[in-house]
Amino acid sequence: MNNKGYKAIKFLILAFLLVSVVFPLVNLLLRIRWEDITAVCSSPQFGDMIKNSLLTTLTATFLSVGLAMLLAWCINRTNIRFRAIFSILFTLPMLIPSISHGMGLVLLFGDNGLVTNLLGINIQLFGFCGFVIGSMLYSFPVAFLMLTDILQYEDYTVYESAQVLGLSKFQQFRTITLPNMRKPLISVIFAVFTMIFTDYGVPLVVGGKMMTLPVYMYREVIGLMDFSKGAIIGVILLLPAVIAFIIDLKNKDSGNSSTITKPYIVGKNKLRDGLSYVFCIVTILLISLPLLTFAYLSFVKQYPINMSFSFDNVKKSFDLGVGMYLINSLTIALLTALIGLAATYFTAYLTARSKKSFSNMTLHLISMVSLAIPGIVLGLSYVLFFKGSLIYGTLIILVLVNMVHFFASPYLLAYNSLNKFNENLEDVSATLGISKIKMLLDVYIPCTKETMLEMFSYLFVNAMVTISAVSFLANFKNLPLALLIPQFDSQSLIEATAFISIVIFGVNILLKLAIYLIRRRIHVQEAVKGGESA
Amino acid sequence: MHTYETENKLVVKNLSKIYDGTEILKNISFEVKKGEFLSVLGPSGCGKTTLLRILIGLERQDGGQILKDGKEISQLAPSARGMGIIFQNYALFPNMTVLQNVEYALKIRKDLAAASRKTAIHTLEQLGLEEHLDKKPNQLSGGQQQRVAIARTLALKPDIVLLDEPISALDVTNREIMKKELKAIQKKFDSTMIFITHEQEEAFYLSDRIMVMSEGNIEQIDTPANIYSHPANQYIKDFVIAHLEQKYESLLKCTGRIRHE
Repeated sequence: MNNKGYKAIKFLILAFLLVSVVFPLVNLLLRIRWEDITAVCSSPQFGDMIKNSLLTTLTATFLSVGLAMLLAWCINRTNIRFRAIFSILFTLPMLIPSISHGMGLVLLFGDNGLVTNLLGINIQLFGFCGFVIGSMLYSFPVAFLMLTDILQYEDYTVYESAQVLGLSKFQQFRTITLPNMRKPLISVIFAVFTMIFTDYGVPLVVGGKMMTLPVYMYREVIGLMDFSKGAIIGVILLLPAVIAFIIDLKNKDSGNSSTITKPYIVGKNKLRDGLSYVFCIVTILLISLPLLTFAYLSFVKQYPINMSFSFDNVKKSFDLGVGMYLINSLTIALLTALIGLAATYFTAYLTARSKKSFSNMTLHLISMVSLAIPGIVLGLSYVLFFKGSLIYGTLIILVLVNMVHFFASPYLLAYNSLNKFNENLEDVSATLGISKIKMLLDVYIPCTKETMLEMFSYLFVNAMVTISAVSFLANFKNLPLALLIPQFDSQSLIEATAFISIVIFGVNILLKLAIYLIRRRIHVQEAVKGGESA
Repeated sequence: MHTYETENKLVVKNLSKIYDGTEILKNISFEVKKGEFLSVLGPSGCGKTTLLRILIGLERQDGGQILKDGKEISQLAPSARGMGIIFQNYALFPNMTVLQNVEYALKIRKDLAAASRKTAIHTLEQLGLEEHLDKKPNQLSGGQQQRVAIARTLALKPDIVLLDEPISALDVTNREIMKKELKAIQKKFDSTMIFITHEQEEAFYLSDRIMVMSEGNIEQIDTPANIYSHPANQYIKDFVIAHLEQKYESLLKCTGRIRHE
């Protein structure tokens, strides 16, 4: 690739991001009418909605991060065994749509739920309680992954000095752990808050009469086709995400200065380890409960009247079009993962491996902006911007919106790995006469295969489970499978929703397994090569 | 016809470079003879690295000429200038073995591709790396990695080799070893070398001539012996002579060779 081609591709990507991220959002903001703002804000519902949304989201965020913190501590600060397996099991809830978490709770604790019927206790799921538990289930794995990452990279030498100085465990926690954790913890809290605050899946099925902002937005747009009111709520949902994004950006600039010199050493403590086992196992049992219920209900004759084994539900689900929508979902997920991988990787290559310039900084910033846009808001902005265009109503727009919605995380994964390479590699290749495209193919890609697999897997799984960005853009033809859940739920086809949840879960598990096997192959190949030369 | 331009391997005339309003290189001129080992000595920020990057074409000058064998090369791409560069941090391709690292660059060159394997092995042997051909860079010591980087550059048979503080990242013992080796390598390959350093002692040990720079100017360019005996100005006295004498004060005291002014 010569310099001209290289520049052309860069501006092509920049133009693509402008059209697919910046323009739709600006258009959304421009569409808002002043009368509607006053109408929405002065409606009696509005104050309640804000109060509901904030109260429930704050409670759920607090509990979710707390749970994730305890689990991350059990995994990283105790001597329990099977830590890798525990960690994988904790993240299983990420493989199903948020709305499935709500459905799982309905099936277990709803008025006709398995637990309700079995024990005769009704926990009054619908409303505050359901929202908090469902949102926790949906968000804690993300917090767990982020916190594990932080705990793993704490420098032990500071703790050694503290021990020499005679500081107690509590003093160490207060003076070392907490200050170390403060900044990353803020990032985690904001990430979880935004996730829960903007999700309509859980409150739609277990929120009961309690109305939250995303549910209101969903109903206004889907039910009443009122885009302007939807846009106003969209802006309100955008606010915390944008604030979080800016704080996070500032946080990161100063936060990454420490380098680990010694990993944490865990002392012996049988009681602590025992309690950790109990806690981890109980958590896993609780998160597997809804999954087992989905599997169970998919294969009973008629819940709750006739619980004998049958394939009736499976057959009925396929009659209702589950097969076709599964193919939709697989197509969307595969295309999102493939195109998304190529786009995010190449963008990261441009920003990480060339000189800092205005266009590169812009590219970097726009690439991360998608972190700050709730899917439901992005989806609405696409409806308003792309309506009437060729891609509207096709699978392509769903692939596009997913790609943009999930752009930031794989982009950052690639950016971070590509940034770690020697800073002089470009200079060396320029003087040796090796073109940029050859460097990409012969050096960078072979070195970052595992990161690319991780990026692919992230994009695929998220495209399979998402119900946010795609919700307003899907029609009966291009509908992805996950969006059948709210439809079937409103038609009381409970067993079919269970079956869909388990199908999505199964597909994602298969993908994760495939990725695991490929990674293992890479490791084996590398070990063989290493063995040959040693 | 022999002129000043063609007699010398490299002639730099009135080179200037400005960054954000600051003059990094202030109209400097010098020449490098064929087979010469020229050190560019100066503190950080004196413009020596910028000079090197401009010579090989990784950056463009704002004014002045660069003539190699009498021909202006400022318009040429870095790979077309017949020069090679070696960096402090080696910059090897991490996924390739030692042999592949050297062979890779050869394969791209049409004139060298046919014998790439042979040339790569031969060059690596000359640098004493024959036992490490199949190792990855991360299995080598810093000194070994630097020798691979040198082999990668020398295998392409450049007219001039530029070295950007190539041994500064090594520990003291290895630095001493590499210092001696560099000199031997230059003899073995009969190459013209421009060596950037901020270490007075390295420059004095290795160089045929030393070019002392400060704030974008050339303070003095001469043989080590002449610089020591006839420092051009107070800067040379402070930055070069005083520093060297301080370092070897105890030694010089014993031998009674310290200068008294």
